[in-house]
Amino acid sequence: MGLEEQLPSGFMLTTVEKFAGWARSGSLWPATFGLACCAIEMMATGAGRYDLARFGMEVFRASPRQADLMIVAGRVSQKMAPVLRQIYDQMAEPKWVISMGACASSGGMFNNYAIVQGVDHIVPVDIYLPGCPPRPEQLMDAILKLHEQIKNEKLGAQRVEWQRELEASALTAIPTSDMKGLLR
Amino acid sequence: MTVTTASTSGDTLEPRPDLVTLTIDGVETSVPKGTLIIRAAEQLGVAVPRFCDHPLLDPVAACRMCLIEVEGMPKPQPACAVTCSDGMVVKTQMTSAVAGEAQRSVMEFLLINHPLDCPICDKGGECPLQNQAMTSGQGDTRFDGPKRTFPKPINLSAQVLLDRERCVSCARCTRFAEQIAGDPFIELLERGSQQQVGIADDVPFNSYYSGNTIQICPVGALTSAMYRFRSRPFDLASTPTACEHCASGCSLRTDSRRNAVMRRLAAVDPEVNEEWNCDKGRFAFRYLESDRRLTSPLVREGGELRPASWDEALVAAANGLKTADGKTGTVTGGRLMVEDAYAFSVFTRRVLGTNDIDFRPKGSSPEEEQFLAARVAGRGLGPTYADLEGAPAVLLVAFEPEDESPIVLLRLRKAAKAGTRVLAVAPAASRGLAKLDGTWIPSVPGSEATALQNLAPDVVDLFGQAGAVVLVGERAAASPGLLTAVGELCDRTGAALGWVPRRAGDRGALDAGLLPTLLPGGRPVADAAARVDTAAIWGAAEVPETAGRDLPTMLKAVEDREISALLMAGVQLDDLPDGAEAALRAAEFVVVLDTHDHAVVQFADVVFPVAAAPEKAGSFVNWEGRVRPSSQPLRTSLMTDARVLSVLGAEMGVAGLESDPVALMAQLEEFSGWEGARVSPPSVAGAPPDPGPGLLLATWRPLLEATHLQSGEPYLAATARAQEVWLSTGEARELGASEGDMITVTGASGSVTAPLVLAEVAAGAVVVTGNAHRALGASGVRVQVAVEGQG
Amino acid sequence: MPSFLDPIAGFGVTFTTMFRKVTTEEYPEERKPMMPRFHGRHVLNRYSDGLERCIGCELCAWACPADAIYVEGAANTDEERFSPGERYGRVYQINYLRCIFCGMCLEACPTRALTMSHEYELADNNRADLIFEKQDLLAPMSSGMVAPPHAMASGTTEQNYYAGEFDRPEDSAAPTGTAEESR
Repeated sequence: MGLEEQLPSGFMLTTVEKFAGWARSGSLWPATFGLACCAIEMMATGAGRYDLARFGMEVFRASPRQADLMIVAGRVSQKMAPVLRQIYDQMAEPKWVISMGACASSGGMFNNYAIVQGVDHIVPVDIYLPGCPPRPEQLMDAILKLHEQIKNEKLGAQRVEWQRELEASALTAIPTSDMKGLLR
Repeated sequence: MTVTTASTSGDTLEPRPDLVTLTIDGVETSVPKGTLIIRAAEQLGVAVPRFCDHPLLDPVAACRMCLIEVEGMPKPQPACAVTCSDGMVVKTQMTSAVAGEAQRSVMEFLLINHPLDCPICDKGGECPLQNQAMTSGQGDTRFDGPKRTFPKPINLSAQVLLDRERCVSCARCTRFAEQIAGDPFIELLERGSQQQVGIADDVPFNSYYSGNTIQICPVGALTSAMYRFRSRPFDLASTPTACEHCASGCSLRTDSRRNAVMRRLAAVDPEVNEEWNCDKGRFAFRYLESDRRLTSPLVREGGELRPASWDEALVAAANGLKTADGKTGTVTGGRLMVEDAYAFSVFTRRVLGTNDIDFRPKGSSPEEEQFLAARVAGRGLGPTYADLEGAPAVLLVAFEPEDESPIVLLRLRKAAKAGTRVLAVAPAASRGLAKLDGTWIPSVPGSEATALQNLAPDVVDLFGQAGAVVLVGERAAASPGLLTAVGELCDRTGAALGWVPRRAGDRGALDAGLLPTLLPGGRPVADAAARVDTAAIWGAAEVPETAGRDLPTMLKAVEDREISALLMAGVQLDDLPDGAEAALRAAEFVVVLDTHDHAVVQFADVVFPVAAAPEKAGSFVNWEGRVRPSSQPLRTSLMTDARVLSVLGAEMGVAGLESDPVALMAQLEEFSGWEGARVSPPSVAGAPPDPGPGLLLATWRPLLEATHLQSGEPYLAATARAQEVWLSTGEARELGASEGDMITVTGASGSVTAPLVLAEVAAGAVVVTGNAHRALGASGVRVQVAVEGQG
Repeated sequence: MPSFLDPIAGFGVTFTTMFRKVTTEEYPEERKPMMPRFHGRHVLNRYSDGLERCIGCELCAWACPADAIYVEGAANTDEERFSPGERYGRVYQINYLRCIFCGMCLEACPTRALTMSHEYELADNNRADLIFEKQDLLAPMSSGMVAPPHAMASGTTEQNYYAGEFDRPEDSAAPTGTAEESR
């Protein structure tokens, strides 16, 4: 965003991190973006009985430029993939992605040429949510887990360090082609 | 088989006198005399349920599942055992309540003692009993007593397991063992509900063909130890492949799941393997999962091989081979598919600019090279399995079909049962020959040529008959003059000549021209027209015209510094002549393309990993000269030999070498039908073995042995035959040994100790079965024989 | 009612609603029990002596419309027995990112080894952790159970197990606990 990039890592940055994380997690604005049956559950989650407003995220923004959370709710067809990516690109940083339901996460039962086998082929996913479709409770659980993640997000120099660690661990990870069973 | 129904037999189809006409389910049909009702019904599209019936086995009517009603017969008749006769009126379960009721009752009866363990049974999902119980069985049983149970499973052999309570006593396995394989080690024992398949106490079912009984078992009574509980049939993806283990060329069905081969079955190919294969082809595929697989290129640095990127390895290999500047030899092994072999042929001539190439393992001779170039290479489909079946006589020379090409044995056995005479020029009357009811023409190793030249006139006359076949094995190369004599015999009598190599890639390599004097399709290097023709197909300016060196000469040239680099593919140290290590060490630069890390790889400067046979599409050429296409069951990131050579060629300045198997095959086909000059047949005089003390060793490689293609499969290895020493009664008496005594055979480089078997062995020879090459040397050397402890 | 009072009547609705019971579920603080037949995370059950019910027959994998289940069977031996009978599931994986919670696997299971719990809080931040392995799916040991491998109870055969002599009474009830209990 600017200022925090300049701060030296240490007490100062940690405090800013905590405050920024708390503020961000308290007012996530999801993009109005539903693809299939999961979107119905997503709507139910926003409605009165489950009431996402309790978490400061009642406004599903119709414009991606005002949203910072994309809930990919439903199967992503190959044709929809570039559209989805464009919406993601139009969202302002910092931004997060929840892959809601089996189809968005892995293609689900639609293991065919038409469906993207996991939306993480197109956009980076922060939370994967199983279910077909997941209940509103499950979506809220995913959102709460995302909140935790946001609260602990690093900034500035610490973020650079964290990214370096991730890169190093990815280099030593077992290649998918060597994995066995379903992990392959 | 011609079938005409009444409605279609019009002007064009005259009813033949050997046809009988009968009515099945109200439809009139004519079938050849002797046809079983069950086959006639099949041709009309009426499936009569059956378990014991198998088209390649004699009828036995053991399971009683195929009961049908025949008018005029008092009781339902088994359709699999009654032949059609004129005017017969047959009603199957489709039209007859009696037949339907009979079949339902038999099914109920079979299920009385059959356990309900389908969920864990290996056959569940592809089980004829399960299927027929679901389609035509009834929902419940009237039998409420406890089921007969047996402790299970028991081992018939290390590989074949028997669950006796699942058996429906159809006798398919015992009939196969007796009628097809000729290994009657299993038999139905006991009576009544205790009837069970069994073996003699001390004789396990160690048949080379035992896996077929598992495949034809109509229930899950026979299972294999290696596949037991590994997978379920509905979870497998089947791919048609060709067997990579020997030159028989069986069609296989490779079943895989999640990119791992789970099992292999014999596929139906009436032209080649009918419905059978051997245990090696069926079970030996675990080498794919070996931890010795090469996965990335290796480059030698500071005396050690280390993993390298493809770019680095390609540049290193290209520089090394360029430095050698044509002073390079190519040695290939028997694992190559014909497309890859052809790619080596092109690469060696176009990129390396030499004819120094050889595919043959140790034991080869210049005479063999001349023989192959003159009589086998590029000749297309030679004598076939069908020709063997129809031959009046077949002569086996330096060829032990049971060990060296097991499907040839099955077909010869089928032929022999129908009256074909099988003769073998061999040092001993082997068990395989006994299965063929064959005639043994004794000859000690080294003197086979003389034996052939002195064949009795009536034997020669046998081969003067139309359709007679002479099969010569690859071991003939070791006996001077033998291939000359074989060729002359065929010329003299007109018998068809078949060369049966041991390894799957050999015939393809020969057709692709992997010999120093031979271009693809049987074209001699020495012939200018052949070179021009070859260059035209390759789009090259020219092909090298000097004849190359064969393997032993190449290795000697390496030691003499006339060749500085070697390109090797699929070669085991065991394939190379003795003392090859010195040459490999002397070579300045060695490039190896291989699937596994083994002794030869340790001599390499650059190693390229390549895909194994099940990881690529391509084809083998079997001993008949028949192309055996193989699809690709497994995905891999590894490249084929041809692809590696293509990119290596580009790195060395020859771009555009073909690497697509289909295109390679199409190009190789352009080489077929050569009508120009051929290499002239060899004319080498036989050299009778030197007289000396001791006996002449005769040995050949067994079907099952500890090679890397059979690694990782302990159950299969446990069914291998134990090593034996065969002596004639006379020699044994002279030695003072009796059957079963431990005999030590000592050669120049080692000794073998194995129990004595008294057999028909030519005077002056001793047979050591199993692979005695490593310890004693090849056939024809002098060895000392002694009773153990007295030598 | 005169029409100029309509806006006030509207506020009346708003006003009375303020005193109605709130319908919103306070999800993370209080979790409502699911309906009895809710399909949550799978459980691989055990017999009351601790032996696994799964026989590794792969029928669940076959029934799965999403190809989310992977099973590898292996043979029990007298030294190492995990389930009654000859075969057990050596590898058992469920990919929860493929699973559609349809329950066809439960219907296919011949030994009732596979059931579904009411646990639904499965979200995670990576794909690999959502492939549950056998140890993640196996029911926890309860009292009287001994962790396999161990032999079948003396004097019994697998038939005794299949006939229900080693079932716990609570096995016959469909739900295997609420979300609260199973966490």
